[in-house]
Amino acid sequence: MNFNLGFSLREALKNLRLNLLMSVTAVTTTAVCILILGSGMLVSAHVEGIIRNVGQDVTIEAFFPKDTEEEKIEQARSSLEGYPEVKESTYISKEEALRRFQEMMADQPDIVQDIGPDVLPASIEIQLKDSRDSEAVADKLRAEGFTELSYPQQVINDLNEYTGSVIWALRGATALLFVASVLLIFNTIRLSIFARRKEIEIMKLVGATDEFVRTPFVLEGLVQGLIGAGLAALLVVWTNTLFVGWAPEALPRVPISSAAVNTPLVLLVLISVGVFIGVVGSYLSVRRFLRV
Amino acid sequence: MIYFNNVTKVYGRDAVALKDVNLSIEPGEFVFLVGASGSGKSTMLRLILKETEPTSGTISVNGMKLSTILRREVPNHRRAIGCVFQDFKLLPNKTVTENVAYAMEVTGQRRRAIRTKVPQILELVGLQGKKNKYPGQLSGGEQQRVSVARAFISQPPILIADEPTGNLDPETSVGIMQLLHRINRIGTTVLVATHDKEMVDVMRKRVVALEEGRIVRDKVRGVYADEL
Repeated sequence: MNFNLGFSLREALKNLRLNLLMSVTAVTTTAVCILILGSGMLVSAHVEGIIRNVGQDVTIEAFFPKDTEEEKIEQARSSLEGYPEVKESTYISKEEALRRFQEMMADQPDIVQDIGPDVLPASIEIQLKDSRDSEAVADKLRAEGFTELSYPQQVINDLNEYTGSVIWALRGATALLFVASVLLIFNTIRLSIFARRKEIEIMKLVGATDEFVRTPFVLEGLVQGLIGAGLAALLVVWTNTLFVGWAPEALPRVPISSAAVNTPLVLLVLISVGVFIGVVGSYLSVRRFLRV
Repeated sequence: MIYFNNVTKVYGRDAVALKDVNLSIEPGEFVFLVGASGSGKSTMLRLILKETEPTSGTISVNGMKLSTILRREVPNHRRAIGCVFQDFKLLPNKTVTENVAYAMEVTGQRRRAIRTKVPQILELVGLQGKKNKYPGQLSGGEQQRVSVARAFISQPPILIADEPTGNLDPETSVGIMQLLHRINRIGTTVLVATHDKEMVDVMRKRVVALEEGRIVRDKVRGVYADEL
């Protein structure tokens, strides 16, 4: 058959305009659902990001006994370099420790005044690749002769216990939102096509092929999905940009970073979901009325 | 042109709509199918359109056995049959012109052909002045004329009408019948299901009478009821 995409597209756009209320309903439903789904994705991504950042921030401080010789310090540093669990280690000399202390206490100069460079011990700050290794690394350090270690064991333990469940709970919630969105949008499309089932019957009786009847409806679904999901996705990404810009000032202690959200991926996922539901929903809804 | 061979149609388990019907309609005939509501007229039309399948027996239309037509070939089959319905079945979102043009568009005809042909057919049915109106803005008679125009635009060899005057007043009905008569005179086979007694009696065409799913009378130049 001489199939005419131009005709279908003109029909689709005309029907969108003529059934304006239905089109607006479908677009709005899509937009709201995608907005909620997008917000779910954002929250989930940021919480995961924060948890990961906190986990990464776990550092072990290993203090050298006061009278450690330079040579021994050198030895310890080079042996640390060889630990597979260690991402980075920084040597902090006595002088550096004092400078940091002074900086921290800048508004209480009288406390700083009496402290000489010999009071604070030299140390090594060790950043781990994975916070779960902290106990093992600490044991190794003790074996190396470090007696004084400082690391937030409790925080690490708590984090490891709950991180997994929190992340999975968030992912589960996002999945539920996804399912709810799909059903809600699908239902709206079905209703709008149900309202036009007579038209479909007439088209079939006049001799239209299934494809000829269906294509304009599917294109309508595509346009509705694209507009609804597109608007919602842009709003989600824009909100995220505002949030990431606002967070460092308002929540300086929470490690929120823009890297937690993969913006192009979020845009792509949200718009694809909207378009997919629009197209598949229309296709399936029309099919039910094509059997004339 | 249209042949029913021992056709029986049962809806559900025991609702018999047609019982062992045999009927031959030759090319160029004008046939009235008469009978009370529920006598099986609409079922015969639906069978011809392959909207439904017979329970037993065979039907052939346009030289094709309907049972051999695949589902995807049904649209082609229907394009050879113009249809006029009691409730007009116009697309509410399309103007008169667009409704008529749709029947050509489904067959993939060129826009230029559509643009020249639609005004011609609208003139034939006397609706050239209403071409940009929507069905809701037309009277019943006008809507039925749009429906006839749409049925006839592709010049199908067969035109079937299901109670075409059922919703119209007698004067308007005459106009529609004259239109069908003209379409018949240029060679189209016309089959009209009706219980419009006056119309059948005036036209004096072949009359096939159905009663409870059986053909009880088949007369050339007949009338609605048997003369007593």
